[in-house]
Amino acid sequence: MDALTLVVAGLANGSLYALVALGLVLIYKTQDVVNFAHGEVLMIGAFIGYIVFQLLGWSYPIALVIAVIACGVLGALIERIAFRPLSDQHHITLAMVTVGLSFALKGAARIPFGQDIYTFPPLFKDTPPIIVGTAVISPQSLVTIGVAVLLAAAMFVFFRSTTMGKQMRATQQNLMGARLVGINTGRIFSATWALACVAGGAAGVLAAPVSLLYPDMGANFLLKGFAAAVLGGFESVPGAIVGGLLIGVIEMLFGGYVSTAFQHLSAFVIIIIVLFIRPQGLFGRKAVHRV
Amino acid sequence: MRSSIHRWFAPILLVALLLLPLSTDRYVQYILNLVLVYVVIAIGLNLLLGYAGQFAFAHAALMGIGAYTAALLIYRLHWSFWIALPAAGIVATIIGSLGALPALRMKRVYLALVTLAFAELIQWVLIHWKELTLGTDGVKVAAPELFGWSFKGDHRMYYLLLAITVVLYVIGKRIVESRLGRSFVAIRENEIVAQCNGINIAFTKGVVFGLSAFYAGIGGAMFAITLGFIVPDGFGMFQLVLHFSIVVIGGLISMYGSVLGAIVLTTLPELLRGFQSVQEMIFGVLLIIFVIFMPFGLAGLGKKKGILPDEILSRNWRDLKKKHEASLAAGSGDKVKE
Repeated sequence: MDALTLVVAGLANGSLYALVALGLVLIYKTQDVVNFAHGEVLMIGAFIGYIVFQLLGWSYPIALVIAVIACGVLGALIERIAFRPLSDQHHITLAMVTVGLSFALKGAARIPFGQDIYTFPPLFKDTPPIIVGTAVISPQSLVTIGVAVLLAAAMFVFFRSTTMGKQMRATQQNLMGARLVGINTGRIFSATWALACVAGGAAGVLAAPVSLLYPDMGANFLLKGFAAAVLGGFESVPGAIVGGLLIGVIEMLFGGYVSTAFQHLSAFVIIIIVLFIRPQGLFGRKAVHRV
Repeated sequence: MRSSIHRWFAPILLVALLLLPLSTDRYVQYILNLVLVYVVIAIGLNLLLGYAGQFAFAHAALMGIGAYTAALLIYRLHWSFWIALPAAGIVATIIGSLGALPALRMKRVYLALVTLAFAELIQWVLIHWKELTLGTDGVKVAAPELFGWSFKGDHRMYYLLLAITVVLYVIGKRIVESRLGRSFVAIRENEIVAQCNGINIAFTKGVVFGLSAFYAGIGGAMFAITLGFIVPDGFGMFQLVLHFSIVVIGGLISMYGSVLGAIVLTTLPELLRGFQSVQEMIFGVLLIIFVIFMPFGLAGLGKKKGILPDEILSRNWRDLKKKHEASLAAGSGDKVKE
């Protein structure tokens, strides 16, 4: 396999992981919760995309928009119902709630979809792959990378230039301080979850054409997202994106040159190695323990 | 009056447990056996998650390691179960106590992530290392024998499992009531305060991770002989959520909780057999509801209503805190360590 082809395919997968990691990092920074249900958000996004595109027969961009909006609403609802009342609880409690949530969502998806595996039809049946030099690039990869870049860019603008984005960053830096200057932190929490789930849902719809759809599909993406977030330091938004892309590329090169059986494994190995050697990740700061 | 009930409670319960198989058919007996297995596993997870407050995801994987160690020693090397059982416990302990390393070095969320990655790794090894584990074909496990007497069949197996479970329950109870158990709780509440009180964090964490893994490993071996056949899929995420549900719904930081949780959550899925979706939703929703509204689970509820006797260490610290704050407000209390 050509190296450049692998890298581009890796970047496409990596941008999905980056979107998942982005959601994880946003929620972690704001509420100190690791969202173990984030893979299920992706799964729900993918299935909504499937329903709109395949069953209703609408176009792919509309499916993407509808799925993203639905996931955003879902995220805000989850935060409002399950996490707002718990904001001062022990971190184990919060993580446990997300684990419970993950299972509840998976079970709920199994009711209409059962144990079957669904396939999303490829978007570009007739378009030949694009050939640049020695690299063979599938149009799907370009769409995935493009949408992910657009979303990430939109988020950067949002965080830099809008009041809501600035309030969000303030809340992440100092919750008490944000409250003192009159930021409605409850609203910020909901907005953060909505934003995180928008990223997750978008990843789901983008992943659908290249992956199989089934209620357990989220676990794999969640782990890759974790690996990406850990690599990026878990508290840094650019870190999550760079981490995601790196994981995608490493995984592809590993699969291409070493062994496809081990390809799936590389993410876990990366998590373990990074956490032992450089727990603060590539972009994180060393944790200072305050007594 | 009450104390006399308590004095007679344990012997009566034991006799009842010994006579129980007389009234069961094979299916009910099989469920009872599973309950015993999950009691052992839940005690192990409760030590780690409840008492010591370490949020790790490796328990199902360690159970799998125990189950596969015992099963493969019996299947491949034809070892006796009586050597394979402790071997399962020891292998799980060695691997499990490695979990203390990330728990010492890393911020708390990372422990969950690294153990989750480890669990997936084990799952992958069990599936793909076919030369050793037979992969997804699974391993058949022969029933153990003692002096030519085979524990074949669910009724006979019950007595073997009961003996192991009772021994491990008593050991577990002794441990949590000892200085060691108190140091687990101290670490959970505040590591720095624990350290200031002369608790060796590294040693204690190593012990609690190892101990928890030992219970998981033994429980895994018991699981293997109870089912007679194991596959890698049995030790995945579903198993893990079952473990979490058992200790959270039964009651964290409580020996009774491990037992109650094992009884409730082993029988519940059997009633809902064939409806994986409903099972998952119920587990998930129950987990959330208990975590939010009843953080001390069924055991906590029982103790509040006076049905279950009070246990050392597991008094509701939020109540204590409230009392303490009230006494501070009244201007009388002196500083109490949390």
